[in-house]
Amino acid sequence: MAEGSNYDYLFKVVLIGDSGVGKSNLLSRFTRNEFNPDSKSTIGVEFATRSLEVDGKVVKAQIWDTAGQERYRAITSAYYRGAVGALLVYDISKQPTFANVARWLKELRDHADSSIVVMLVGNKSDLKHLRAVLTDEAKQFAMDNGLSFIETSALDASNVEAAFQQILTDIYRIVSSKSLDAADEVIQPSRGTTVTVTPQGGQKPQQQGGGCC
Amino acid sequence: MGRETFSANGLNLASTSELTRSLSSRTSRRRERLISVAELTQMAWQGIPADLRPIVWQLLLTYLPLPVAQRVTKLHAKRQEYLSMSTLTFSKPLEQLIWHQIVIDVPRTRPGVPLWADPITQKCLERILYLWAIRHPASGYVQGINDLVTPFFQVFLSFYIDGDPATFSPSLLPEDVLSAVEADSFWCLSNLLDGIQMNYIHGQPGIVNSLNKMSELVGRIDRQLSQHLQNEGVEYMQFAFRWMNCLLMRELSVENTIRMWDTYMVGSQAFSQFHLFVCTAFLLTWSRQLLEMDFQGMLMFLQSLPTQDWGDRNIEELMGKAWQLSNTWKDAQSHLGRNTPRRGV
Repeated sequence: MAEGSNYDYLFKVVLIGDSGVGKSNLLSRFTRNEFNPDSKSTIGVEFATRSLEVDGKVVKAQIWDTAGQERYRAITSAYYRGAVGALLVYDISKQPTFANVARWLKELRDHADSSIVVMLVGNKSDLKHLRAVLTDEAKQFAMDNGLSFIETSALDASNVEAAFQQILTDIYRIVSSKSLDAADEVIQPSRGTTVTVTPQGGQKPQQQGGGCC
Repeated sequence: MGRETFSANGLNLASTSELTRSLSSRTSRRRERLISVAELTQMAWQGIPADLRPIVWQLLLTYLPLPVAQRVTKLHAKRQEYLSMSTLTFSKPLEQLIWHQIVIDVPRTRPGVPLWADPITQKCLERILYLWAIRHPASGYVQGINDLVTPFFQVFLSFYIDGDPATFSPSLLPEDVLSAVEADSFWCLSNLLDGIQMNYIHGQPGIVNSLNKMSELVGRIDRQLSQHLQNEGVEYMQFAFRWMNCLLMRELSVENTIRMWDTYMVGSQAFSQFHLFVCTAFLLTWSRQLLEMDFQGMLMFLQSLPTQDWGDRNIEELMGKAWQLSNTWKDAQSHLGRNTPRRGV
């Protein structure tokens, strides 16, 4: 699994959203091309990585998959710290999971860095006959809240690659254009974890330390 | 003969004798003389013979009273109580938040195992979890508790059947037997959870506390590993949270867990206190490999440890190591993560 340190950028991304919307399967589809229809519930957090190429640079995503249940919120919200991206997942066949998106956004506002890039992900798009959340409705919500938006299916793999590619590209663009607000905050890794948006391996398209230029 | 033994456990299975295993007279005799706590304790350390396990677990969890004469009455009363509680609770509107989470988790409990894929078993599990949650509003249902039901259910089911409970079809069971298994599982789960409720209330302080202690213990016992984890930025919360929350059931097979619980049943605080030493010993098992890995390697490794081939011997070794740790550090342990010293016993 280890890809060594052959990457230019390391981005920490969290997967959040209600229980049972398919966060773990999105992650396993993206990192291992696997889908497990009866995966066990996630307890606390789980971790995986994968590298992608963005604008000719190798971007490594360090992804933290979190438990959806409310009880774990106190534990999982600690992982928002230092994250530069969040995939906020709901299930297109379950309206309440979409209704809760606003609550998840508040979680992010309370615990994550203000500059975090958030993508709204409507998962289980293969369940066309059970659709309960209209694409346009979700798209509008995303637009109103400054989020990007995509519908995916971890089951048939559609758009999974695209979702991660897009959020990593968005983060990369922000980082490389130095327009990341309060960048110094964002770069603080939690003790020793290599969570950082600074380029690795001698690349230096952005500031070292203090982001107030 | 078989009938007498069963009724000692409060069961009347005359109508279902063809489904139940006929017990050897040796087993019957062993069951008859199971009254000494010392004997039970020793047995639990060594691993309880499968045929005796259902009764021994129930005795050690103080669900069954030791005096044989009281068992029938007690069992009957508890099963009756469960039934009435169940009937009453499910006649009221459901607590939607709790119910919703349970319904999501029940089908993903031991996925792929026929017993747990069966709708009959799933209904039992739903009721057990919901009733427990309703009776414990401070924690409610917390994901992972579903895993903890499965060893009880399988062990208690094994009392009535031949062969592997995991592949058994519960539709073959008469209703009264199934409902006895369900009730016994519920009460024994409740007794177990009573000791670790702090793991499941808001903020999960029991787990946080255990993880702090574990980190301190590893720091004292295996400085090199402790330093390596720290240098790489691996936090106990990232991997051992689940070890505490699910009592290592995500790391070990149900068979391993059952053997482990044989030993846990002995101590009144094993699930809350001894488990900390077991987790510490478990981590130290992988020390050599971990020292070779970086942050990512360690996390990936710790998330899916190679325990697939673990059998009773591995568990016994683990229990032995944990016991040594606990003997050495038990007194110090009360100092770990807090300042008030407590006198060791």
